[in-house]
Amino acid sequence: MAAFETLVERYRSRVYSLALRMLQNPTDAEEVVQETFLSAYQNLPRFRGESQFGSWLHRICANFCLMRLRHKKVVEGTVEPLGEPEFDERGHIAIGDGFDWSRRADDRVADAELRKAIEDAVAKLPPEYRAVFLLKDTEGLSYEEIAEAVGASVPAVKSRLHRARLALRQDIDKFFARER
Amino acid sequence: VGTNCKSVVDLLQALLDGELAEADEQDLRAHLEGCPPCIEFVNTYRKTSDLCRKVLQREMPEELANRLTSFLRERIGRRS
Repeated sequence: MAAFETLVERYRSRVYSLALRMLQNPTDAEEVVQETFLSAYQNLPRFRGESQFGSWLHRICANFCLMRLRHKKVVEGTVEPLGEPEFDERGHIAIGDGFDWSRRADDRVADAELRKAIEDAVAKLPPEYRAVFLLKDTEGLSYEEIAEAVGASVPAVKSRLHRARLALRQDIDKFFARER
Repeated sequence: VGTNCKSVVDLLQALLDGELAEADEQDLRAHLEGCPPCIEFVNTYRKTSDLCRKVLQREMPEELANRLTSFLRERIGRRS
């Protein structure tokens, strides 16, 4: 148990972050984190490879989150279509006002308004898209690991990830545009 | 089929993953060299992932961490 507690201490914040972003509810997130670590302990004999322990935990956590969301039949209010770029009739992208916020975004990481805008944008994603985005871009799992965690094919995972990134990029773009 | 901005958006993920055929990648890069809006789009698309990773991480509150430890000790202790 002492060795396992060391692992819990190492990974609990990342697992909690994932559960909180997925479920949007601190109480549900806490319960899922407890379920995740208990399940991990019970299934330790089946786990192989220390280097992937974090990925394995995140897969368990994502699975519990999605089961909980499906069980609750969470309806995300009025589901908005995912944001994506617009093009003119010749296929030219309808952005390009010369404002590239990527260059100064790092200076704003601690900005409460930007953090809120990003949290809201992530919360707005449908759960299946949110899970894929969080597992890939914040936790660094492979496409194959994510596919196993969410019960989808690798091409479906890639498609959801791309659409989630497009939607988030658009919302962050709007945030910086409002400041101009 | 000529490469336009829409192709860039559609194929960007495959480009970043290094999964595009060489000829497709050359076409895309040639378009990017002459299209400032697409360069801006690619930069902000890439930054989106990086920025979200930095912003979304949270430390587990100490109170929750203590409850997690108690929960696991109780449940695991009971089983062993």
